[in-house]
Amino acid sequence: MTKAAVAGVGSTPYYFRGESAPQTIFELIGKAVMAAAEDAGIAVTDIDGLVFYSYGFDAALIVEQLGIPELTFCAVVGGVGGGSAGVLDLAAMAVETGRAKNVVCIGACQQIDSRYGTSLAGLATTPQGILSLTAGLVGPGQSLALVAQRHMHKYGTRREAFAEVVMASREYAQTRPEAIRKRLITLDEYFAAPLLANPLSRYDFCIESDAALAFLVTSSERAADMRQRPVNIVAAAHGGSRDWGRAFFWLNMPDDVFASAGAASIAERLYGQAGISPDDIDVALFYDHFSPLVIMQLEDYGFCKRGEGGPFVEGGAIRPGGAIPVNPHGGQLSECYVIGMTQIREAVEQLRGTAINQVPDAKLALVTGGPAPIPMSGAILGVS
Amino acid sequence: MADITSAPDVAEIGIPKDQWTEPFWQATALGELTLPRCASCETYRWPPGPFCPSCRSQQVEWVPAGPAILYSYTVVRQPAAGGEMKVIAPSLVEFPEAGGVRIVAAIVDTPLTSLAIGAALTLRWNSSGEDNVPVFAID
Ligand SMILES: [Zn+2]
Repeated sequence: MTKAAVAGVGSTPYYFRGESAPQTIFELIGKAVMAAAEDAGIAVTDIDGLVFYSYGFDAALIVEQLGIPELTFCAVVGGVGGGSAGVLDLAAMAVETGRAKNVVCIGACQQIDSRYGTSLAGLATTPQGILSLTAGLVGPGQSLALVAQRHMHKYGTRREAFAEVVMASREYAQTRPEAIRKRLITLDEYFAAPLLANPLSRYDFCIESDAALAFLVTSSERAADMRQRPVNIVAAAHGGSRDWGRAFFWLNMPDDVFASAGAASIAERLYGQAGISPDDIDVALFYDHFSPLVIMQLEDYGFCKRGEGGPFVEGGAIRPGGAIPVNPHGGQLSECYVIGMTQIREAVEQLRGTAINQVPDAKLALVTGGPAPIPMSGAILGVS
Repeated sequence: MADITSAPDVAEIGIPKDQWTEPFWQATALGELTLPRCASCETYRWPPGPFCPSCRSQQVEWVPAGPAILYSYTVVRQPAAGGEMKVIAPSLVEFPEAGGVRIVAAIVDTPLTSLAIGAALTLRWNSSGEDNVPVFAID
């Protein structure tokens, strides 16, 4: 069967929240799409498929602005962070079934009029969600603080482990030119910061930023004739378990699922599709909106046992040369937050061998969507 | 003196309701905390909605929530009138005798140092006009 590959990557510069003005989000998207086509070595007019993450971008406006003549595939992965890696699943399906030849996956955010950190405030003003507001729970960070608190209670996880996730991401970001937060922080600085949502301080929250990224997905055969080394989509999955379900909008997950990243079933499907185990993964690009959820993803994706994520990271496992290097681009905590898209870019750069903080001889990379209401998502990318 | 928790101002928020959540608020107006249970198979459902997730029945009976315990909590600070900062503990409250359903609620009148997962909670009310929002305290 035809397999799909990522043949091109395009990105705008990374901006701190609001600093991408006066460009509109569609200008950012256009620039990313053109850059992805250029990177792959194809014409923009050869694009015949669009896949979005998320928020329902205006496909008509994009094809008009870029002069794309005909779409044979156009789809959106829904959700609020969980589905980001699902763009690769949709694009691969379109290519593998012959629906389209050159599919561009697009993810973008621009936080000028609204800030994603208070997104619950809007979404919770429903009869079913209103108790979140009357309880003072206004954003995903506050909801996931409840999850982090429970993980600490259940497994003895320490704030030192959250700090280590942040400090490791800063170490990586230091050498990453695009990174917005490059300054190293110490454990003392981490503990000196006031708590925004106990047990989380501002260091545990990702950056608020603006950017657009685009990925050109085509068949492995066509990709081999394009400009870059093809990066194969070895496995891709989106969806997820009812047990995780509405996650931080509802918080009635069964107790063993509550203190997790909700990704266990996605992980199982990915490893099954790829016919590999966590030991085979060379680098992990976790959706790191909040540092404790990196620890829980390490558990869900089988890099350590359930409940042992804290000691695992405190032992240096996610640093350069550790058991599983995590987010060598600095991630959303330190480089830039574009709803999971920077994770896909870094996976491709690692596998092309062009990453800034290159993991030696990386052959398989794991990319995840964020612990958020389903759809959850993940992908394994690889080079032979 | 440790910080004492309080709750958001309900009057500023307003309570949207629909036919499936209305009975919850009718009971709270009478000072009763009730939760929806399937009238066919007795599975609790939360949030209130049109179907039982176990048997798809639409029949609901509202039953007393029973004792409450603190399942998890966080602490945030929100601006309040007069430039003061309110200390709020948005929490997840579990009802072991009501199928383990959890609702989100603020813990009030409680020193931060008393917040502990597993603590037994006492029901209080945060009221505005006809709306009675359940909040809880640790005694
Ligand atoms: Zn039922």
